[in-house]
Amino acid sequence: METIALTASYLFDWHILLAALAGVTWGIMGGALPGISPSITMALLLPFTYTMDPTGAIVLLASTYIGAEYGGSVPAILIRTPGTNAAAATVIDGYEMNKQGKAGLALGISLISGFYGSMFGLAMLMALSGPLALVALNFTPMAYFALGILGLSVIATLSGENLIKGFIAAILGLMIATIGSDPVTGGTRFTFGSSELLGGIEPVMIMVGLFAMSELLIQASKRGADERVTSRPRIQFPDWKLTKRLFPAQMIGNGIGTFEGVMPGAGGTIASFMAYNEARRWSKHPEEFGKGSPEGIAAPETANNTVAETALVPLLSFGIPGSNSTAILLGGFLIHGIVPGPMLFERSGEVVYGLYAGLFAAIIGMVIMGFLMLPVCIWLVNRPRPYLNAFILALILSGIYSIHNETFDLGIMLAAGVLGFFMRMLRFPFLPTVLGLVLGYLVESNFRRSLVLSGDDFMIFIDDRISLSLLLLAFLFIAGSIGKHVYDAFFRKPKTVSES
Amino acid sequence: MTRLPLYAAASAAFILSGAAVQAQEYPVDTVTLITHSSPGGGSDVFLRELSRYLAPYLGANVIVENVSGGSGASAMARLAQAPADGSIFYATTPTFIYTSLLSDPEYKYTDLEPLVNFFIDPEVIYTAADSEFETLEDVIQYARDGRGQWGAANPASLERQALEQLKAAADVNAAVVTHEGGGDLMINVLNGTLQIGVGEVQEIQSQLEAGELRLLATFSEERLDAFPDLPTVAESGYDVVVRKFRGLAGPKGLPEDVITAWEAATQAVLEDEEYKAAYEAGNLRAEFIPHDEYNAFIEQFGTETSTFLKETGVIE
Repeated sequence: METIALTASYLFDWHILLAALAGVTWGIMGGALPGISPSITMALLLPFTYTMDPTGAIVLLASTYIGAEYGGSVPAILIRTPGTNAAAATVIDGYEMNKQGKAGLALGISLISGFYGSMFGLAMLMALSGPLALVALNFTPMAYFALGILGLSVIATLSGENLIKGFIAAILGLMIATIGSDPVTGGTRFTFGSSELLGGIEPVMIMVGLFAMSELLIQASKRGADERVTSRPRIQFPDWKLTKRLFPAQMIGNGIGTFEGVMPGAGGTIASFMAYNEARRWSKHPEEFGKGSPEGIAAPETANNTVAETALVPLLSFGIPGSNSTAILLGGFLIHGIVPGPMLFERSGEVVYGLYAGLFAAIIGMVIMGFLMLPVCIWLVNRPRPYLNAFILALILSGIYSIHNETFDLGIMLAAGVLGFFMRMLRFPFLPTVLGLVLGYLVESNFRRSLVLSGDDFMIFIDDRISLSLLLLAFLFIAGSIGKHVYDAFFRKPKTVSES
Repeated sequence: MTRLPLYAAASAAFILSGAAVQAQEYPVDTVTLITHSSPGGGSDVFLRELSRYLAPYLGANVIVENVSGGSGASAMARLAQAPADGSIFYATTPTFIYTSLLSDPEYKYTDLEPLVNFFIDPEVIYTAADSEFETLEDVIQYARDGRGQWGAANPASLERQALEQLKAAADVNAAVVTHEGGGDLMINVLNGTLQIGVGEVQEIQSQLEAGELRLLATFSEERLDAFPDLPTVAESGYDVVVRKFRGLAGPKGLPEDVITAWEAATQAVLEDEEYKAAYEAGNLRAEFIPHDEYNAFIEQFGTETSTFLKETGVIE
């Protein structure tokens, strides 16, 4: 209660409100540009926070993060390109809905889910920081390894009709993740003497290539007719019936987002994929997933916005940034001489409560700005195809170039685009590749770290209680999926329209 | 779309430029300091803090640029090919030597000329406050009795090298576990997975003040002013001293007047009252090393590191 009262007292400070609104607007724009990740969007603002008061500076950066996590869903739905890594899961059903002429509704669901996710995350952050921080503290390298395996178990769902192709695609992603420096020795591997590959390949380059570039290639390879569907040119919020249907998916997103957010190193991408997977598992209409299910947007978008809030738990409680975005936020604290960690609330309580108030304002601002900005975006993507495609190409090339200012990265993205083109021709799913790429390093580094700890004794994964339970859960998921495939193969039911 | 961020940007840029002071005698008007760390990272904060106070002493505008990519490989390439007129420098930490040795990039630390050193960051050994270990000897004894688990922040780091050296000096069986940064490491010390971690005081400051971590020893040559009761590792009987330097390097063939100007400006800025308050609050220890000595220092550091990496089998 005291927290709420203290927070409320900052709600009418115009410095904070202005910082929150500016941050969230900038964040939506940055998040919506493919290649500009939330962390880059925040980093661009960092120099300007030097001259601001500490609370305003932190609010500006944190609001940018929230805005960017939402903004990433806009191009995911409209042009099949996730604006942020965490929006990759939204592409599946978001773009399908767009193709069916329901882009306005898809964007509305994403905005409202982002709102729920952020509000829930903020409530968790304010009420349960302490207990949640304890959960994060007890995660050993063994537990992180198991968490990664649990994440990889989602591959079975993402593979679509062909499990083998899904595994091949996932292994491809895992292989790309090994490029760069060895997580245990620090030596380099698979860089083939190229200094550009030393830091590894950023998932965003592969993602933009696989999704957006391959789509452009497909479009270019088609002759003649413009098969564009005219989307309804304005945003549409779900009606009561749909709201009720989305609720379970959003609750799943909230739960998974909270859990993944407080784990340093886990993050929004895994959260949104897992939320998508679980929403499908528990949905009354699992068959619609992948074909334009509104729940398929609601779950991941709720999850990644929840993460944007709960990722602040380890940062504020331990001073540990769990992702690039929170690392920049940590920089924002340090610049103003504030050290996040156990002493933060005692030393700089005003910054924390100001931050809570700013986040609240930013979430409200996100809905307003999202509502105002979406018609412009929808209008943009309804331009004639050739113009739109040229615009998208320019957008993704400049976005990828801006990451390191390296033309080499453009080559990586284009190569991923060609790869994506052939994967689509041969009906390989992309999402397992993305998942393998995102989780590969987490799984490998923690696996090897655990074995260094135990002196190559594999029992360490079973002795660690969290690790054991997560591995069992992953096993159940995989066994369940395989069981279902086998069942379908032997007792294939004729496809019927399910009752609603 | 709103123009708010643009206004904010414009006004902030205006304020920043107002702080810069006119050039006096320095051969160029603007000095660019580049770092491989991303905004908010260690070297980035060091440079940005420094750039605020340095301009009047140097007599030139000072701007900071982030050249990330390849853990310093891109930054070294940029520097090695830049003109040696005093207009561009690179913030050096042991990372640039590790990257040169481990990744074998086209341009290495040997292609640059060390300028001066500003700070030596003290590296300390810490444990969880609720652990059974009261002294470094307890930890060593634990490892001697069975098997120890010690943690360093990164695989290619001075901290790891320090622990490997300590392990060799004490002749015990300990796993040196590397992590993905200081935060990751600290969690594993706090939850008891590791007996000790090694890091800079500034990284664990908040936990120290909250009484969640306990210091056991420092790898510095002498005891630290902030912790006069904390023994050095060498005092404890293991001859391991670690000097994590923080300085600048430029392209080869720096002119004499540039070097003189920097040696004077560095000493002056380190004495600046305001700057001193800022860096001491961040637990940085000023240690000015003039140009000639710094060259020898970096060279020796490089040789030692190279020997270490070969001995541990990381490079050939």
